[in-house]
Amino acid sequence: MLSRSAERLYWLARYLERTENIARLVSVHMNLLMDLPKGVEMNWVQLIQINAAEQEFYDKYTSANERTITRFLLADRTYSGSLFSSLIAARENIRTSRDLLPDEAWEQVNEMYLYAKNHLDSIANRHSRVLFLNEILKGCQRFTGLLSGYMSHHHPYRFIGLGKYLERADMTTRILDLASLLLSESRSIELRQYETILWMTILKSLNALLMYRQQVRSRINGDDVLNFLLLDNNLPRAVGCCISEIFNCIIKLPNHDGLPEKLLELKQTVEAIDTQQTTQLQLRVILDSLQNKFGGLHQQIAENWFLKVETEAVE
Amino acid sequence: MKSIWENYKTEVAYDELMQSKSQPRPVSQKLCHYLNSLSKQEIDKRKIAAELAIMEMGISFTVYSDEGNIDRAWPFDIIPRIIEAQEWRIIEKGLKQRLTALNHFISDVYGEQAFIKAGKMPGEIINSSKNFRKECVGMQPKHHVWANICGTDLVRDKDGIMYVLEDNLRVPSGVSYMLENRVITKRVFPELLQDIDVLPIDDYPTQLYDMLMSIAPQQTGKVRIVVLTPGVYNSAYFEHAYLAQQMGIQLVEGSDLVVKDDDCVYMRTIEGLEKVDVIYRRIDDDFLDPEVFRKDSTLGVKGLMRAWKAGHIALANAPGAGVADDKVVYAYVPEMIRFYLNEEPILPNVPTYLCSDKNQLEYVLEHLPELVAKPANESGGYGMIVGPHATLEEINAFRAVIKKDPRNYIAQPTLAISTAPTLCKGKLEPRHIDLRPFILQGENTFVTAGGLTRVALKKGSLVVNSSQGGGSKDTWIINGEES
Repeated sequence: MLSRSAERLYWLARYLERTENIARLVSVHMNLLMDLPKGVEMNWVQLIQINAAEQEFYDKYTSANERTITRFLLADRTYSGSLFSSLIAARENIRTSRDLLPDEAWEQVNEMYLYAKNHLDSIANRHSRVLFLNEILKGCQRFTGLLSGYMSHHHPYRFIGLGKYLERADMTTRILDLASLLLSESRSIELRQYETILWMTILKSLNALLMYRQQVRSRINGDDVLNFLLLDNNLPRAVGCCISEIFNCIIKLPNHDGLPEKLLELKQTVEAIDTQQTTQLQLRVILDSLQNKFGGLHQQIAENWFLKVETEAVE
Repeated sequence: MKSIWENYKTEVAYDELMQSKSQPRPVSQKLCHYLNSLSKQEIDKRKIAAELAIMEMGISFTVYSDEGNIDRAWPFDIIPRIIEAQEWRIIEKGLKQRLTALNHFISDVYGEQAFIKAGKMPGEIINSSKNFRKECVGMQPKHHVWANICGTDLVRDKDGIMYVLEDNLRVPSGVSYMLENRVITKRVFPELLQDIDVLPIDDYPTQLYDMLMSIAPQQTGKVRIVVLTPGVYNSAYFEHAYLAQQMGIQLVEGSDLVVKDDDCVYMRTIEGLEKVDVIYRRIDDDFLDPEVFRKDSTLGVKGLMRAWKAGHIALANAPGAGVADDKVVYAYVPEMIRFYLNEEPILPNVPTYLCSDKNQLEYVLEHLPELVAKPANESGGYGMIVGPHATLEEINAFRAVIKKDPRNYIAQPTLAISTAPTLCKGKLEPRHIDLRPFILQGENTFVTAGGLTRVALKKGSLVVNSSQGGGSKDTWIINGEES
C-alpha cells in the first residue's frame, strides 16, 4: 500500500469523523437548550470553546449567538474546523484515493457533499437545521457501514480505523473538558438543579446514554459518567475503547515501531485518572495532557507510514 | 401532443439513426419505436435521472480557465448512437490493421528507417517532429509494440463512409466516459437494454489489465502494475482514478516512485520500497523524466528513462510513440499499411494537404475558407480553424499563422460529419458526432465494442471536444438482422 494512500485514507477518516462529531454536537446542544430555562450559563459559546476556536470566531463575527455560531460551525468554508470544510476535505481525500475503496464509498461521500452544499442556507432555520444534521449523521453512518460490509479489513481499512478512532478520542476528551466545567464549584444554584440533564446531554452527544444505563446501572452522576466515558473498553466513543481500537489497527500494520509503547503509556495515563479524587482543575490538566499525547501519537503515525519525500530524496 | 421528432431534419448530413425525417434506419427501429412510446414528460424524467446519476457518481472533467480549474459534470445525451454489427466488424478489422502498421512504423523510425529509405516519406518529417525522441533510437519494447493504447477518431461523411480523422497515440483519454455512459444508460433505460442485444463493453478494464500484464519485463513472480497520473489537477484525473480502481491497481504520482542505483523503479509504501514492473503512464513524454526531458518537470520520475532503457520497467505507451501521433505522419498511414503489411487499408484517411509541401501549401492558403486547418501536434481541438464557419479576418489571421510554420499545419476538406438525434430542450435535434474507439495492443490486439461517441451540443458546430462544449452518448453495436 502506498504511503500517500495511507495518509489520504487516514485523513479521510479523520475528516468524516469530525463531520459527524460536529453534527452530533450541534444537534445535542439544540436539544439541551430547549430543556433548560432561559438565563442559565449554558449557551452556544461553549460549542466554540470545545473546538478551541473562540479567537477565530471573534475575528469574523461580532456577536456570539445561535445564528452566528451555527453558521460558523456548520457552513463557514473559511473556518477549517467547520462541518462543511471537513466534508470538503473528506471528499478531496476520497477523490484522490478512489483506487482503494469500493465505488459506493466515493458516491456516498460525494452525495453527502452535494446535499450539504445545496442545503447550507437552510441551517439558519431551526427546523430545517434538524433535518440537515440528521441527514449528515445518517450519511456518515452509511459510510461506516458500507466500508465495514464491502471492504476487506486489511491495511487500507486499518488506516481508516486509525484516523477515525484518533479523531474520536480527541473529540471525546474535548467534550469531557467541557463537562469538567460542570463540576466547577462556581456553578450557580440554578444550574445545579439541572445537573442530571447536563450529564445526560454529555452522554447523548457521545451516543452513550442507553449504554450507560445498561452497563453502569446507577443514577446519572458526574463521577460515573466521567469514569464510563474515559475508561470503558466497550463503548465505541469512550477514550479507553478508542485506544484499544487504535492498538488493534497498529499491531497488524507493518513498521509499527514505537507505537505500541506510546499507546501503552496513553492507556496508563487514562487508567490512572481517579475521577473521585480529582478536582475540576486537575481534571482539565489531565485532559489537556491527554490531547497532547494524541497529538504525539499522530506525529508518530506520520513518521512511521506517511510520505516523506524530502528526507528520502537526500538519502 | 407534439412529437419529440417534430421538425427533425435529416438533410444536414448523414444521420446515424434516421433514414429520413420519419423513417428510422433498420438498425434503430426498436429504439425509435420505444422512444415514441414514451411521453415527453417521461423522457424529461429520464434525462433528469441521468443528470442526477452523473452528479452522484461524480463523473466530471476539469476545464482549464483563467479563473482556475473547474470541475464540470460530464455532459451526456441519453439517446444512444447505434452502429450495425456487420459494419462494426469491418471497422474493428481496419482499426487493428492500422495500429499494427503504426507500431511497425514507430519501430522502424527508431530502427533502420526502411520506410524513409524506400522513399515513402521525406526524412525531414521525422527530423522536424516535436515528438521524435532521439533517446529512443535503438530501443525495442516487448512485442515490438510502442503504442499499446490508442484512441482513433472516426467520422462519417455525407457519403456514409467512415473515415479516420486522427490516431491518438500519446495518452488518449475518454475510455472511462465510454464505460460510465453505459452504466448510466442501464440506469435510465433498463427495459430497453433488456430487449435489444447490445454488445457489452465492460470488459475493457480486464483487457487493459491483461495487456499491461503481457508487456511486463519478467513474467515470473508477482507483477506490479501502476497507473501514473500527473495529479488531481489534470483534466483526466477522474479517468486515471477510475481505471486504477477498476483494475484494482495503485494510482501513483511521480513523487510516489523512485529509481534507485540498480535502475529499477520502486514505489514508496507503508512497508518500505516495493518494486514496480509496469507503468501505465498518463503523463506526456515531456514531463516523464526530468533527467532526460523537461528539467523543470515535477510530475515525472527522475531516472525513469534509465530504468526503461535498462529493460527493468515497461511503460505504456512507450516513450517516443507520439512520433506517429502527428497529423503530418497521419497522411502517410495508408502507405504504411501497404509497405509493412502488404495489405490495402480497410479504413480510408480523410484527404490531407500538407503545408510543408510547397504546392499543397499554396492550395491550402487559397482554399482556406472551404477547409479545416489544424496544427500537427495539438489535441483537444485547440488552435484549429473551420473555414466555412470563420470570418474573413479569422481566415487571414490563420493564413499568417500557417505561413510562419508550415511544417506544423495540415488542412482537410470540411466534412459534413454525420448527425444523430440529440435531446435539446425536450425535442430531438440532429447534432454532429464522431466516434473514438480504443485499441489495445500488447501480446494480442483488442478493440472496444464501439467506443466513445462525442457530440457537438451546439447547433451546427462540428467541434466535439469536451473542452470545447462537446458532450457524449452511449454507443451501441447491435446485430442488424434482429431488428
